[in-house]
Amino acid sequence: MAVRGPLVAALFRTELRMMLRDRRTILLSIVLPLAVLPIMLFASHAMNERRERRLEETVYEFAVTGPRGAGARDLLDRVRRHAEDTTGGDTPFRFREVEAADPAQALENSQVHFYLDARSAAEVKDMLERDDAAERPAARPPDVLVLTTVFRADRDDSESGASRMRRALADTRRAERGVILRQAGFPLAIADVAAVDAANLASEGQVAGLTLGRLLTPLLLLFLLSGSAVVAIDSLAGEKERGTLETLLTTAVSRAEIVAAKHLLILTVAVVITVIQVANLLVYVGFELIPTTTNFAAAVTPLTAILLLLLYLPVAGLVASVLLLVSGHARSYKEAQLYFFPVFLMGMLPGLAAMLPGLPLRSAIVVVPVANISVAVKELLIGRPDWLFFALAWVATAAAAGWTARLATRALSTERLIAPVAAEAAELLGGPALFPRHVVRWFAILWAVTLIVSLNLETRVDLRVQTLVNLVGLFLGGSILMIRRYRLDVRQTLALRPVKPAVWLAVMVGVPAGMLTGIGVFRLANIILPVPPEVIEAFSRFLLPESVPMWQLLPLLTILPGICEEIAFRGLLLHGLHRRLHPAAVALAVGLTFGLFHVSLFRILPTAYLGMLFASVVLLTGSIFPAMAWHGLHNGLSLLASQSGWQLSSLEPRTYALAAAALAACFWIIWRNRTPYPGLRPWRRSRPA
Amino acid sequence: MTVTPVAVNGLTKFFYDESRGEVRAVDGIDFSCRPGEIFGLLGANGAGKTTTLRMLATILTPTSGAASIMGFDVSRRPEDVRRHLGFYSSTTALYPRLTGRETLDFFARINGYPPARIPDRVEALVDRFGFRDYAGVRVDKLSQGMKQKVSIARTVAHDPPVLIFDEPTVGLDVLNALDMQKVIGELRNEGKTVIFSTHIMSEAERLCDRIAIIHHGRIHACDTLDRLRASTGKHYLEDIFVHVVERAGERAWP
Repeated sequence: MAVRGPLVAALFRTELRMMLRDRRTILLSIVLPLAVLPIMLFASHAMNERRERRLEETVYEFAVTGPRGAGARDLLDRVRRHAEDTTGGDTPFRFREVEAADPAQALENSQVHFYLDARSAAEVKDMLERDDAAERPAARPPDVLVLTTVFRADRDDSESGASRMRRALADTRRAERGVILRQAGFPLAIADVAAVDAANLASEGQVAGLTLGRLLTPLLLLFLLSGSAVVAIDSLAGEKERGTLETLLTTAVSRAEIVAAKHLLILTVAVVITVIQVANLLVYVGFELIPTTTNFAAAVTPLTAILLLLLYLPVAGLVASVLLLVSGHARSYKEAQLYFFPVFLMGMLPGLAAMLPGLPLRSAIVVVPVANISVAVKELLIGRPDWLFFALAWVATAAAAGWTARLATRALSTERLIAPVAAEAAELLGGPALFPRHVVRWFAILWAVTLIVSLNLETRVDLRVQTLVNLVGLFLGGSILMIRRYRLDVRQTLALRPVKPAVWLAVMVGVPAGMLTGIGVFRLANIILPVPPEVIEAFSRFLLPESVPMWQLLPLLTILPGICEEIAFRGLLLHGLHRRLHPAAVALAVGLTFGLFHVSLFRILPTAYLGMLFASVVLLTGSIFPAMAWHGLHNGLSLLASQSGWQLSSLEPRTYALAAAALAACFWIIWRNRTPYPGLRPWRRSRPA
Repeated sequence: MTVTPVAVNGLTKFFYDESRGEVRAVDGIDFSCRPGEIFGLLGANGAGKTTTLRMLATILTPTSGAASIMGFDVSRRPEDVRRHLGFYSSTTALYPRLTGRETLDFFARINGYPPARIPDRVEALVDRFGFRDYAGVRVDKLSQGMKQKVSIARTVAHDPPVLIFDEPTVGLDVLNALDMQKVIGELRNEGKTVIFSTHIMSEAERLCDRIAIIHHGRIHACDTLDRLRASTGKHYLEDIFVHVVERAGERAWP
């Protein structure tokens, strides 16, 4: 059904009226940012000025130490004289030596700003060798005076004093060097030996355009996201909480019309707030409250400003759609606020594309929403517009905005989001009913514990202990704990059911096929994210240590994982998720979780792939036994291949293709003999009204 | 030919609950309503009343079966269904930042009432439900009783021929509940078709022309009160309800 303009207009007007009457929204979205920016700028400006003035006016106190102290004091006298000569007696850097028996302690106690350690180069060399210092200065004549300024960088005045002292010493030394050279008959001043000059061909506007082009999109995204978030969260999540969404859904307007009106409202608020904020910023730049060396006015002509507005329109649309989608998927205002922070961080990322050096719009970036506009804006501001790709970028981002708005419309037809049925039933029933709600957090904790154990045990104990701790202690122990805590039926939870005999034949075919395709997946992943060979070698050495006999390795790496990991992942985790997600999503989620538990980065994808295969087998057969057998045999075959020195990772691509065909045949057999996992969700989706 | 205001055939709704798996909230129910009658859906909490009414209001999509409001199918013509329907429940709230008058104007407009006639309609409703003195006050400043009046006026703002009242007296005090019953009776007298769900026997007894007893998603009896009395041999609706539900239990677990 087409979206009816008058209805959308009526909805929009009412939404706008209600928003303007909401003091909280006005305060958080407009008044607060408007007030906070000047306060922050004034405060930071004032504090900086005060700090600079204080550091300028300070008389820096220091101590001199070391065997060549007399030489240092002599040099300091010359520094003072040189400073008086060059500044007419009004030196901005004032310093005074103070007595300190222990200069290091005096520095620690803030009795001096810094101290000078004066030694000969030979003494410095000896000292560094004694301390076994990694970095040594270049070789110097042994008698040369080396002055080290010792300071504390965690104190402003100490760092500033030491830095000013180094600069003054360097200036004096340079001047004295020049005098010596002239006295020796050198005809030129040092600065005139080889003059270096530069010529910039870019106009002032282009230089300013580059700076502005890099900053503008992230800044605008910040304003758009933060400005419209309150309205967006309130528009759907807030309405659900207040019960007004159900009232609206029983009226003659369609879901698409509701989303269109709310989208328009968020867009309006986002644009208005952004315009106010940009104007606010310009006022502060104009009044020089924000110090800038760049003439931004030179980069933005009236025509550029109009083009910028056009380019940013789909970005604002996309931001509004994304926020609406987040709001639509949250059941309450609080839940929407929880979702907002990661969305905010992710949303800012594409805006940074303009900061990547040498990335032209005429590249794959043109299809990446927001990132393409970011690069286009930069190219526009430096005066190199690529009109065809501007149009492509605009269409890509606008299409993303439209698609996201469509998803938001679908959220308004998703029954579990708009009319949760018996939402609290699980809380009341407790026990097994509560397990599906808690299963993810249990595995999150288990993952954290596994990670901590792996990081701490890897270097302290051998493979046998670590495997036993992980498999028996964590996976099996954790599973038993969950079964007891939620009073779960062991047979149902672990899917302890017989399967048709043909399934076992399929498993026999699937074991080598799954292993080879797994290696194929690893090789594909290696193209995108190459793993250094030494990492794989180190892992192999750890997994197959020569000190552990085969009779111990075999049960540790085949039987135990086949039982313990299957009980945890294809038993508990799959059981917890099977009613929450569609079957394909269950296989994906179980596989990915299994991959994440194999802590090494390069193992995640292949193990996730295997985890998905095992989960698919359990979902199709309704039994954990084939997955246990497959898992154990897979590990056994891998062990055998490794011990026998088979080079399975460097086979011809057609071998992997053959393996994939065998795997397909294996799943065809399983499909033909399927006895699906009980209680799975069907593939069904409600229609948008 | 007269259109049947509400026709329900084999309407079914299954949903998937994380803890219970597939739940048959409504399991193949049939009924129809005539013009100018109050049709009562009587059932305990969780019997399937609200799910049925939400399907009729097109908030939920039926798993199978069909239903129509004024001849418009709930799955194929949801906007037309909603244009001919007024839906009131204890969970349908009012916009707190609109006044009573603005509320009526807004809901009449988006439900397709002729724009030129909206101001007159709004004033007529303000007078009819007796909230002229506070028609310009924001809803969040109104008392519970005043909100209830605005809420009923909102339900009938676009003058729909079919009205659904889902447990309308939940949370109301005795006087407000009686007011609500009076209004529902008046709407029936104006020729509206009213579907009224409740678990309070006295309300159903007093208001409904016909009563459907719904239990575990199925309608087990549907008739006038007199005929229900005759068929069950019980006089009070409470006894009739218990009798029907017990017999349904026996049929389910022989």
